[in-house]
Amino acid sequence: MTPSSVATPPAPEANASGWSRESGQAPPESSAGATLRRAKLGDALLGWACRLSAALIALMLISLIVVLVHSAWPAIRQFGPGFLVSSEWRANEIERPVRDAAGKLILRDGETVMETLPPAFGALPVIWGTAVSSAIALLIAVPISLSAAIFLVRVAPKLKIAGAASFLIEFLAAVPSLAFGVWALFVLAPIFQTYVGPFLYRIFEPIPGLRWMFYESVTVAGRTIERPIPLTGRDLFTGSLILAIMILPIVTSVSRDVLRAVPRTQIEGTLALGATWWQSCIAMLRYGRSGLMGAIMLGLARAAGETMAVTMVIGNNNQISPSPFAPAQTMASVLANEFGEASEGLHRAALLYVALILLTMSLIFNVIARRLVIGRLASVSH
Amino acid sequence: MPASSLMTQPPVPSKPQSEPPQVELPARKRPITSVGAAGTGASGSQYPVIEAIKRGETPEPRRHESVMGVPAILEVKDFQLWYGQNKALHGISMPIADGKITSIIGPSGCGKSTLLRSVNRLNDLVDGVRTAGSISLRGEDVYARGVDVISLRKRLGMVFQKPNPFPMSIFENVVYALRISGERNKAVLEHACEKALRQSALWDEVKDRLRGSAMGLSGGQQQRLCIARAIVCEPQVLLLDEPCSALDPIATLRIEELILEIGQRYTVLIVTHNMQQAARVSDYTAFMYLGRLVEYGRTADIFQLPRLRETEDYVTGRFG
Repeated sequence: MTPSSVATPPAPEANASGWSRESGQAPPESSAGATLRRAKLGDALLGWACRLSAALIALMLISLIVVLVHSAWPAIRQFGPGFLVSSEWRANEIERPVRDAAGKLILRDGETVMETLPPAFGALPVIWGTAVSSAIALLIAVPISLSAAIFLVRVAPKLKIAGAASFLIEFLAAVPSLAFGVWALFVLAPIFQTYVGPFLYRIFEPIPGLRWMFYESVTVAGRTIERPIPLTGRDLFTGSLILAIMILPIVTSVSRDVLRAVPRTQIEGTLALGATWWQSCIAMLRYGRSGLMGAIMLGLARAAGETMAVTMVIGNNNQISPSPFAPAQTMASVLANEFGEASEGLHRAALLYVALILLTMSLIFNVIARRLVIGRLASVSH
Repeated sequence: MPASSLMTQPPVPSKPQSEPPQVELPARKRPITSVGAAGTGASGSQYPVIEAIKRGETPEPRRHESVMGVPAILEVKDFQLWYGQNKALHGISMPIADGKITSIIGPSGCGKSTLLRSVNRLNDLVDGVRTAGSISLRGEDVYARGVDVISLRKRLGMVFQKPNPFPMSIFENVVYALRISGERNKAVLEHACEKALRQSALWDEVKDRLRGSAMGLSGGQQQRLCIARAIVCEPQVLLLDEPCSALDPIATLRIEELILEIGQRYTVLIVTHNMQQAARVSDYTAFMYLGRLVEYGRTADIFQLPRLRETEDYVTGRFG
């Protein structure tokens, strides 16, 4: 304590004099002083306006969650966390004949005994549909995106087409999802129905163990039968395909930024050791792996939340089928399909419960993605 | 050039002087500053070779007889290189002695790194690079048509200015060159790793954490790791591109000791802007200026008995 204060005697003096000089200037009231006060008031106002605007945005997110939770509350109260694992989805109560264990109708006084099933909602089919369609979309999109990003970083600049190629890829992101949906419905689905579907059927159907891809078991009138899934082109696979196309731009452009930030010395280091072009690309991907994971997470968030295009081609069937060629439903598509008709309170609440799950998932994906990408780019820049 | 029009004195013939007397210092100060500032003024009288180079000429370099007779592993012959329109190397011809340490010195932008990167054709990556002349490695022109650049680079090791460990374990870093050549045998990899790490004086420090990330090492250790990585395939020539420029003095000292040791086994070509380093570690020294070779000889001769005043003043820090 004492030595340091002894060692630096001039500093407090200078401070004191500087401070006193400033305060000495304040007393004489002048126009300059008034201007200063006005400027200070302006600063304060603007400062508060900025704070308010920022708070408003945060408030919007919070109110979104609050409103969602509030409207979904009846469903949350009734189904609880079991909602996530239940696969029933009945918007209206139904009446059906009661059957015994052998599948025979139970007769009483010559009439079939009927039972009434109340409406029930479970999100498992839509969670399944979302997860599988997003996973297939990533499986298709990620290799293409990473290859395109490598092309943009390592090949395109030499061909002087980096700018044009980047623009085209990013332009894909600006195409409205309805346009993708229409294209998928009128181009992709018929192509799948006439060419790709039968082709896949011919190749994979004979392979033992892949029967589940093309056949489904249904229980009709108490008997379980196996029947081929009609390859209509409006199924999980086509939905995933259009999702893959839609997430290509975001995954490509973020990957490109990540790869561009790989230091030159890393690439030269591998080449100087005799790495081939391909091996040096692998080294680049490895160096940027956490940022690339972030790019993939952003793509996943987009795929999971994508609505319109998927709704148009996924077939909209609330079922869990192992086959990618069966119609399915995603969280976003069930909302788009049913929200308009959901008059009944519980149905509406259940849909909003689904929306809440979707929002939470997207939020988590985005937070992870941002951490990975921004963290990587920041650590590379210095 | 304005230099010639302003010339007030005839060029002084450059006489090698082992130790310039103190009294001459003021007289020399003028040209030093003018060269540093804009390259104008009466400096032409002091440094005729430098002035000729600045006019765009390529004077015949002073190659000492002592360096021309030795068996060479690399033979640079009238090598020229352009980056687009800019000519970066002008007719460089020099042999690199087999099994010795040769250093290339010169001010920034003199093309010394470019020359080094021409040996393993790393300049091929840069847009618009053209070359003429030849660089021969054991008699084979590396710029000949049909040369397999990948296998050429596998025969040459290179270490860069900034340590550039790959984001993987220490072990994987060292054996990277073997891995990309398809070596899978664990015993072979482990043996090669230990040998390279021992040769680069890093083994004792890292032997217990070979599986740990290489990014956790200190700067000096990282650079020694890069040297280990470069010598794991026993290269015919080890290229060092200012290997100590990003290191602190103590780490620099260790790397220099290491270079001397590695020089017992390998031919080393080192680019440095640190004259003392060149004097300490190398057997032969080449002085380059603006893409030209100026003087080339045994290190002892270059530093103590240079034939050009330019060289003498550069190595003693008076100009450049």
